[in-house]
Amino acid sequence: MQISLDLITGVIAFVFTLMVFSYVLSDNPVFRAALHIFIGVSAGYAAAVTWHQVLVPRLVEPLINGSMVERGLLVIPVLLGLSLLFKVSQRAASLGSAAMAFLVGTGAAVAITGALTGTLFPQFMAAIGRFDMSRSSGLAAAEQLAYASVALLGTAVTLVYFQFGVRDKSETQTSGRRNTVIRILAYLGQIFVAITFGALFAGVFTAALTALIERTDFIINLFTGF
Amino acid sequence: MKLRGVFSTAIAISTGVFVLLGALIPTDILVDFRILLLQWAVLVAGFAVLVGIINLLVVHLAKIRAKSGSGYSLLLALSLLASLVIAIFSTPQGTGSRILFDGIIQPVEATLMALMSISLLYASMRLLRHRAGLLSIVFIATAIILLLGAAPLPFGEVGILHYIISPFIEQVPAAAGARGILIGVALGTLTTGLRVLFGADRPFGGK
Repeated sequence: MQISLDLITGVIAFVFTLMVFSYVLSDNPVFRAALHIFIGVSAGYAAAVTWHQVLVPRLVEPLINGSMVERGLLVIPVLLGLSLLFKVSQRAASLGSAAMAFLVGTGAAVAITGALTGTLFPQFMAAIGRFDMSRSSGLAAAEQLAYASVALLGTAVTLVYFQFGVRDKSETQTSGRRNTVIRILAYLGQIFVAITFGALFAGVFTAALTALIERTDFIINLFTGF
Repeated sequence: MKLRGVFSTAIAISTGVFVLLGALIPTDILVDFRILLLQWAVLVAGFAVLVGIINLLVVHLAKIRAKSGSGYSLLLALSLLASLVIAIFSTPQGTGSRILFDGIIQPVEATLMALMSISLLYASMRLLRHRAGLLSIVFIATAIILLLGAAPLPFGEVGILHYIISPFIEQVPAAAGARGILIGVALGTLTTGLRVLFGADRPFGGK
């Protein structure tokens, strides 16, 4: 039973791998069919996962087995959730705005705390930490200080590059361009950004190449397995 | 602003402020209320996922009726309904779901990723041909150095590349740029979040 299940899965996977690989030749109906089936299956699977992992444990089970207070507390989210169905209709879409507002408000607050505690504070501490000479990094003190300084400079000029605000033209009587120092620092920032994207590109390319090798290996193994 | 817009904005601001206060001032009542609001948000987000999928189905059913690209839309609608029924009845860990995941979702994703290697190679070649500036050269040179530094080369590893240049690029300029980008993104997120909480941005339709 186990072998036949693996065989069925393997054959389906083989067919879909070839269908998607056909894109190498050109954009063709077989590739498009594979993508549409993939989108449909993924959407259906996501709906089933949402049903089993979110709605059943958090809504259906408390409604059946929960106390009156638990059931009462579910009234607001259920009403908000059901009002989202109005979003499918163009004419009644505004009736779902309250639910969207609830999601946006909650999401904004979560994003703010996430940005503060998950990114800003840890990144500031990591930038400062590079100047901590008591930490063993296998480098001489002068070397570590130089590396830390270059890294701090790189972080600062990268942030300068992303600063696109200029003074009002009428206020300064200039053309609304950034001043020369900022422009030089921003250009230096662009170089750091280019190096970072180059490193990210290398990482993504390595991952994509690994996937190509894995898929080719899968096709060869399936053929040699027969 | 219409009354409905004021109501939506009030909901967004009040829920956001309570969730933020619960995170920043950890008193029992605020933390409990924050957890309750987050549990509600998870439930509403679950409904939102289902509404999104219903909308996808409605759009493609309309295309089938209008007979514009109806073959692909029919495939999508049928595969969506079939996978929904299979995964609902067999649970996401069941045999039916395993066939869907291991037979279609995972192989298609992996093959698309594999195709990306060819697209990336082609794009990098086109970049040098069409936008051959200093920044493009820095970008490509960094990528080549790091790839050569990480790959097992047929003529053995190049010491200076493996142990000095690659680690330096990764740990100093690339890490510095990445930190700058991350801090920039976080500051952007912070500003956008605060604009929503102050009612300056209303992306939920409350004009």
